[in-house]
Amino acid sequence: MLIGDHWAVELDGLTKSYPTGWRRRPVPAVRNLTLKLAPGQVLGLLGPNGSGKSTTLKALAGLIHPTAGQCRILGRPAGGREARGNVGYVPEVLTLALHQTGRGFLAYCAGLSSLPPERAATRIKAVLAWMGLGDAAERAVATYSKGMRQRLGLAQAVLHEPAVLLLDEPMSGLDPEGRIAVARLIRDLARQGRTVVLTSHLLTQAEEVCDRLALLGEGRLLACGTTADLLGSFAPEPAQPSRLEKIYLEKLHGRA
Amino acid sequence: MAAPDAGSAAASLVRVRLVAVQTFAEALRLRLTVLLVFIGAALVLLAWTLRGFNLGVAELRFIADFGLAAISLSGTVLATFGLAHLYFRDIEGGLAALVLTRRVGRGEYLAGKLVGVAALLAWFTAALAVLLAAMLAWRGTQLGANEVLPAVFLQACALTWLKLILSAAMTLLVCSYAGSALFAGSAGLLLTVAAHLRVFAPTEGWLAWVRFWPDFGLFETGPLLAGREAGLVGLAGMGAYWLFFMILFTGLAAYVFRRREF
Repeated sequence: MLIGDHWAVELDGLTKSYPTGWRRRPVPAVRNLTLKLAPGQVLGLLGPNGSGKSTTLKALAGLIHPTAGQCRILGRPAGGREARGNVGYVPEVLTLALHQTGRGFLAYCAGLSSLPPERAATRIKAVLAWMGLGDAAERAVATYSKGMRQRLGLAQAVLHEPAVLLLDEPMSGLDPEGRIAVARLIRDLARQGRTVVLTSHLLTQAEEVCDRLALLGEGRLLACGTTADLLGSFAPEPAQPSRLEKIYLEKLHGRA
Repeated sequence: MAAPDAGSAAASLVRVRLVAVQTFAEALRLRLTVLLVFIGAALVLLAWTLRGFNLGVAELRFIADFGLAAISLSGTVLATFGLAHLYFRDIEGGLAALVLTRRVGRGEYLAGKLVGVAALLAWFTAALAVLLAAMLAWRGTQLGANEVLPAVFLQACALTWLKLILSAAMTLLVCSYAGSALFAGSAGLLLTVAAHLRVFAPTEGWLAWVRFWPDFGLFETGPLLAGREAGLVGLAGMGAYWLFFMILFTGLAAYVFRRREF
C-alpha cells in the first residue's frame, strides 16, 4: 500500500488560519485535518464554498504554510524541493499565455521540471496525444476551448510523471463531454498508480471518479471513507447515473 | 544533450532563463508596452521642436538630453507598472502557482521575472535610442557638427537602462508583499520619484535616513553629455553602487516572497 514506508499523501493535524480584519484576528480555514492516502487512490475533497477544500490542496502543494500540523508527500514535507518534484498541480483558475502554442507551453513546463530535452520531447508528444490535443499542439492557446485548456492544464501536471496530482475543481465550468473526458483521464491516472486529490462541487462527478471521499464543512472533516461506504451510510437511495448526460451525448454524436 | 542535475547551479540558471524568456515574450505583447513605445517615441520626436530656439551646435546636446529624459520617463512607467502587471497576472491567473509547485525556487522565479523585465527595458531603451540617434545624426548633418559622440551616447543610454532596472527591482520588492498591481505599480513609481529627489535629502535631522535610499542623480545623463565623463574609476564605482542596490532590493524581495501565500 505504501511507497517505501511512506504514504503517498499524509495530512497530520493540518490547521490553517488566516488573519482577518484590522485586529488580524485568526479565522480558521482548516481545523486539525488528518488524512492518509495510498498510491493509486483518488480522493475527492467535497464541501461548500469556504469549507477548506482549496486551502487543503494548497497546503499539499506548498503554496501556503500550515498554522499547525504537517503535510507530507511521499514522506517529504510538502513545499520542499523533493516533494514538489513528485507533485503535479492544476489550480482552479489557470490563465495561460494565449500567444503560446500548446506544445510551446508544455515545453516551458518541461524545462521548469528539469526534464532532459529528449525525454521532454517524448513526454510532450505522449501527453498531448493522451489528452486528445495532438492535432491542436501547434495552435495558439487563444484558440482553445475551455475544455481544451483544462486538458492542457492537466497535461502540464502529468508531464513530469509525478506520483501525486492535486487538482482544484478540475471539472468546473466544463460541458458534459469535457467533464466525462477529464473524469476518464483521472481514472487513467489512478490506474497508473498515481494518487489524485481533487476538490469538487459536482458531487455526481466526484462520486464517479473518486474511490475515497472526504466531506468538509467549516474547515472540519465531517466524514471520510470509501465512496461505497459513504454512499451506503449517507444515501439510502442508490445513486442514479446521469441519464440526461447520456441523452445529450447521444444527440450530439449519435452515440451513448 | 543531458540536462543538468535539478539541484545544481546550472539547472537553477536554466530555470531563471526560462522564466525570463517567458516574461519577456509576454511583456512584448502587453498593451502597456505598445502604448508606452508610442508615447516614448512621440516624446523623443518632440525634441525636434528644439531647433526653433537657434541654439547652434549645442542644440544636439539638448536634443540628446531631452530624448533620454523622454526614454527615462516612459521607461520608468514601463518598469513599474509593466512589472507589477506581469507579476500579478501570473499570481491571479494561477501561472505562478503552477511554476512554484515545480522544482523552481521562489528566488529563481523572482530573478526570472526581473531578468525578463530587464530584457524588455533593454529592448525599449534600444528602440527609442535608435530613433533618437537617427534624429541626432540627421540634425547633425544639417548643422555640420557632431556634438554628441557615439560612445558618450551609448554610455548615456546604458545609464538610463541601469536606472530603469533599479526602478523595476524596487517595484519587485513592493510586489513581493502587495495585494494588487495598481498598488505595487504606484508604490514603485513613488519610490522611483523618491530616488530622483534623493539629492535634496538633508544630511542632519530626522529625515537624514533618506540618504540611505539610492540616488538616481548619479545616473543623470546631463553631465555626461556636457563632456564631464565619469572615467573608468567613476564608472566602476557607479556599477558597484547599482549592483549593491540591485542585490539589496532583489534579496529583500526574495526573502519576503518566501513567506507569500497563494
